[in-house]
Amino acid sequence: MIKRKKNIFIRFFRNPKVQPFLSVILPVALGVLVFALWQTQILHKILGTDTFTLPLPSQINRIIGDNLPKIMLNVKATVLVAVIGLAIGSFIGYLIAVLATVFPRWGAGGLSIVAAFNAIPIVALAPVMTNWTKDVSSDASVRSMVAKVLVVMIVSIATMSVNAYRGLNNLPEFSLDLMKSYAAKKRVVFFKLRLPNSVPYIFTALRVGVPSSVISAIVSEYFAEYITGVGRQIRENIVIAQYATAWTYIAVACLIGISMYCILMMFEGILLRNRK
Amino acid sequence: MKDMRRCKAKKMVAILMVATLTMASLAGCSSNKKEITSNQTQETTSTDTKAGETADTSTEVRAVMSNEEIVKLAASEGKVGNWGLGNEYEIQALLTKYGQPITYLSQAFDMDGFDDDSITLASAMTYNELGLVKNSYDGAYNYSDTVGTIDMNDEGVAMLEDNIFCTRAFAEQNPNTVKAFIYASMKGWKYACENPEEAAEIVYKYGSSVSAEHQLYMASEVKKLVETDINGNTVTELGKMDEAAMSQTLELAKKYIALDDKAAADKLSKLTLDDVRDTSYWEGATASTDGKFGTPEKASVTIQLKWLPQAQFMGYYVALEKGYYDEVGLEVNVVSGGGDISETTAVSNGTVDFGVTWLANLIAANSGGMDLLEISQVYQRSGLVLVYKLDTFMK
Repeated sequence: MIKRKKNIFIRFFRNPKVQPFLSVILPVALGVLVFALWQTQILHKILGTDTFTLPLPSQINRIIGDNLPKIMLNVKATVLVAVIGLAIGSFIGYLIAVLATVFPRWGAGGLSIVAAFNAIPIVALAPVMTNWTKDVSSDASVRSMVAKVLVVMIVSIATMSVNAYRGLNNLPEFSLDLMKSYAAKKRVVFFKLRLPNSVPYIFTALRVGVPSSVISAIVSEYFAEYITGVGRQIRENIVIAQYATAWTYIAVACLIGISMYCILMMFEGILLRNRK
Repeated sequence: MKDMRRCKAKKMVAILMVATLTMASLAGCSSNKKEITSNQTQETTSTDTKAGETADTSTEVRAVMSNEEIVKLAASEGKVGNWGLGNEYEIQALLTKYGQPITYLSQAFDMDGFDDDSITLASAMTYNELGLVKNSYDGAYNYSDTVGTIDMNDEGVAMLEDNIFCTRAFAEQNPNTVKAFIYASMKGWKYACENPEEAAEIVYKYGSSVSAEHQLYMASEVKKLVETDINGNTVTELGKMDEAAMSQTLELAKKYIALDDKAAADKLSKLTLDDVRDTSYWEGATASTDGKFGTPEKASVTIQLKWLPQAQFMGYYVALEKGYYDEVGLEVNVVSGGGDISETTAVSNGTVDFGVTWLANLIAANSGGMDLLEISQVYQRSGLVLVYKLDTFMK
């Protein structure tokens, strides 16, 4: 058999030393390309729209610069809701997964009910929560915060519990048998085998959970009594036809999502360094 | 062994069921109690006020706080409500008038927040939410005379609301269509105001978002807004653009529409009435006695309302039903609003030809870069009031 020499480009791309760089450079290059098309209005021609409906990046940038303190105030409100909701929700979700593992007979069924919560649209959940939390506090900012956190929490519970359950039960082959052959107690099996095995699954859940918590926070702001947050600003500005400002807040929402995701990846990199 | 387990499982299910049932019944008990107590308090308050009325009118006047005191108290508690989304400027002007910060609570599109006292001074349109608060029909809250209102017109912070608008380009290219549309619409409004009962029935027929009774209430209240100006004088020329009221609206809009985009904010501060309205089309339409304006450049047109089909827009439905649009050679399609794609956007991008919006929203849209033109001002005074429960604001 003749071994054909591969093209130099293919060899370059397949080089294991180049790979990690490429996985960063290519997405960034795509991003830069999109921005270039956007700023030069070629994107507007492709999409058949105008700079009024889709403002230029330079304009968005200018508005961010002009309103930085106000934007940071809104960002703070949104991030706080997303992070608190995600933390509580993920914790409860993990507990549910543990319970489902401890009581396997009830677990699988109960878990599917929890997973069904994921199918509830946030737009339906948010007003319900706002009404439910009316009695929590006489301070509107507090009860709105609780309502928003609850929405994020419910969404986060579902993702975490399903993934963590998988992590607690999809054990490496024969590992359970091995533990049994050691006559390990259930508790030992749990702490030495199941718990460590579930850690990567927790991160899988969080990878889905972080963006969805930001989205949930933003949507629930639409319905909250106390007016604050990036989501509320997006809606207000779209309704009063301030598209440039609305896009500014959309861009800010993207930045929140991306930076929270990056932070998560950093944690994952540190915590899972010794694996594989 | 297996049977034992099954038995256990059954037992646990039974225990769970019992637990949930007791929980549910307990929960039911508590809410029932609440209802009973709230009913009782309502009854007592209504009898109180009745007693006050019969006893002496002067004691009643002394009993309720002045508007200024009410606004100050509610604002200090942070319990002033509005829907936001461009409906808040009059409320903010009122708050400023009495030296209060311009923050408010986001009010949902029902009056539950007012009902449960999380909002003590709630925004209401005279023709819609106020009716729901006062009246006793299905879906309403039946407060009847136990609530008071603060009227934006009386407070001097009124801004003009429902109008008819299109883009400047559309008006310039289709002057005959625009005039014919105004002519037929105003004929519809005139008939609707003369026959509110019939108008309410017609609107109800065209797909109603509210009950027939509420529709009727709405028609009678909308009639007042169309036929009375902000000073309380009767208006005979329906749809006219009163210079003073328009200027007041623009002035307040400049003060209270907060735009983050500096370019838009600059444009807003320089806006004049000529940038937002053109009276010539309405004048042309009202000057005509026979509704003949030459062949309409565009015979099939669409108008998007600001909200769901209801008597707030009865003039257009009446004109449709009575064939007034047909008479002037127009085929009109009425599209309901209420989504987040606002009527200003729909008109600006050509999805629809005409729209109904509040003048302040049009001003904001033009500041943001649209070129919209008000061609008629249907509502001559503000329909926005702040409603409060009398017993919350007793001295």
